[in-house]
Amino acid sequence: MEYEFHWNVVFQTMPELLNGAFVTLHVSVLAMLLGIVIAILLAIAKMNNSKPFCYVATVWVEIARNTPALFQIYMAYFGLGAFGIHLSPYVAVLSALVFINAGYLTETFRGGFQSIPSTQYSASKSLGMTSIQVYRYIILPQMLRRIYHPMTNQFVWSILMSSLGILVGMSELSGTTQRLQSLSFRTLEFFIVAAVMYFVITKLVLISSSLLSRRLFKGEV
Amino acid sequence: MIRKLATVVLACVAVGSMNASADQLDTVIQRGTLNCGVVLDFPPMGYFNEDNEPAGFDVDYCNDLAEVLGVDVNVLNLTWGDRIPSLIAGKTDVVIGSTSDTLERAKSVGFTYPYFVFKFQVIAGKDKNIQSFDDLKNLKVGAALGTTYETEYLAYAEKKGWGTDNYTAFKSENDAYLGLYQGKVDAIISTNTNIATKLQSEEFAGFEAGPFVPNYDDVVGLIAKRSETAWINYLNLFLVRQIRDGNMNEAYNKHFGSDAPADLIQSLRDNK
Repeated sequence: MEYEFHWNVVFQTMPELLNGAFVTLHVSVLAMLLGIVIAILLAIAKMNNSKPFCYVATVWVEIARNTPALFQIYMAYFGLGAFGIHLSPYVAVLSALVFINAGYLTETFRGGFQSIPSTQYSASKSLGMTSIQVYRYIILPQMLRRIYHPMTNQFVWSILMSSLGILVGMSELSGTTQRLQSLSFRTLEFFIVAAVMYFVITKLVLISSSLLSRRLFKGEV
Repeated sequence: MIRKLATVVLACVAVGSMNASADQLDTVIQRGTLNCGVVLDFPPMGYFNEDNEPAGFDVDYCNDLAEVLGVDVNVLNLTWGDRIPSLIAGKTDVVIGSTSDTLERAKSVGFTYPYFVFKFQVIAGKDKNIQSFDDLKNLKVGAALGTTYETEYLAYAEKKGWGTDNYTAFKSENDAYLGLYQGKVDAIISTNTNIATKLQSEEFAGFEAGPFVPNYDDVVGLIAKRSETAWINYLNLFLVRQIRDGNMNEAYNKHFGSDAPADLIQSLRDNK
């Protein structure tokens, strides 16, 4: 075989790689949580009859879903920079991921909302519940259960897309990998280890969200 | 799952070992094309000219090398980070890309004799008034990811206890200059040659070249697969002949507007 693997170089820098992996996990979990909250609001806005809300939500969703993540991260960093708004690499990547997550999840949530018969809404209202109570106790719990799987897909996507943080010099797992490999040029070894780490992170996230769902939905996902 | 992963890794290994090495020199000659990797966002060593064609000192070296080999040249545009993967994947035969010849890297890839020597330098806004390298202490500093000047800056910052909070890595040389121009960072570290080129442009009128990175000459070589010793021998002779035959001076003149400095030529002749 032509290529000799030197793994010790990688293991020596393991603490830095793990640090990068933590940043990856950190930014994608935060992007997911913020994305969910915004997506619920956007989904409600999109189903709303009031024009301005619906318009804003539609524009958001259309841009988020129909342009590449690479472009959005670049715009958040250098695009805003051209107007004198300087986000740190972390905040730029976080806001781009939140933007995209919210855009995609809005459509998922809207589907979820619409799968709940509207008669439930009228029934709850006639029991004297306020709109907020209806969403909080009747509609959201059922909706979240139905869209659980598409939501975790989006989560995995968000973790993997955070690797584009390298574009704007973020020291997440990919950025750290790239920097460390340039010291020794052990590119293959570093990339293989980084890939394994991404795999482990996504698996961890999937397992913990499945545990969480069992608690929340009593196992009926 | 581990078994599946192992299979994938083994498959990669198997594919790698199939193109068992015919000598690279023979391969290039028989193929009739030299695949030459250059970093094309690093003027004046490599860049795209007005006709959007690869140009620069490194590109001239690619052309000269192809000419003596008697083959066509195919210049591939690489980022700093692509240089080694492109060699390992066999996309390039040689990378003429200002690669600093560290001993750590030489464990992974084959270096030729030095073919150029750079100084690492600071470029910053004139208002920053940077007198010495230590003035960077409280400024936001950037550099291109995976370059030796990034490593040198970080090593210096660590030695001085500056920390890395003020540091920003950029994906490419162009992005680093864009970040400087937009004011994302106060200063960036680059090479003296690139800074001199940039300062000639209107956009960087408000900027100036600052101090050099202390105690560091950036000596760079061509790189090829480590195992291809015969090919590296050929490349070494090529570099010697570039100086002896005057091609080096010609390329220098073309891209730097003056004769190559005597001390640069001497240090290349001395291989240091």
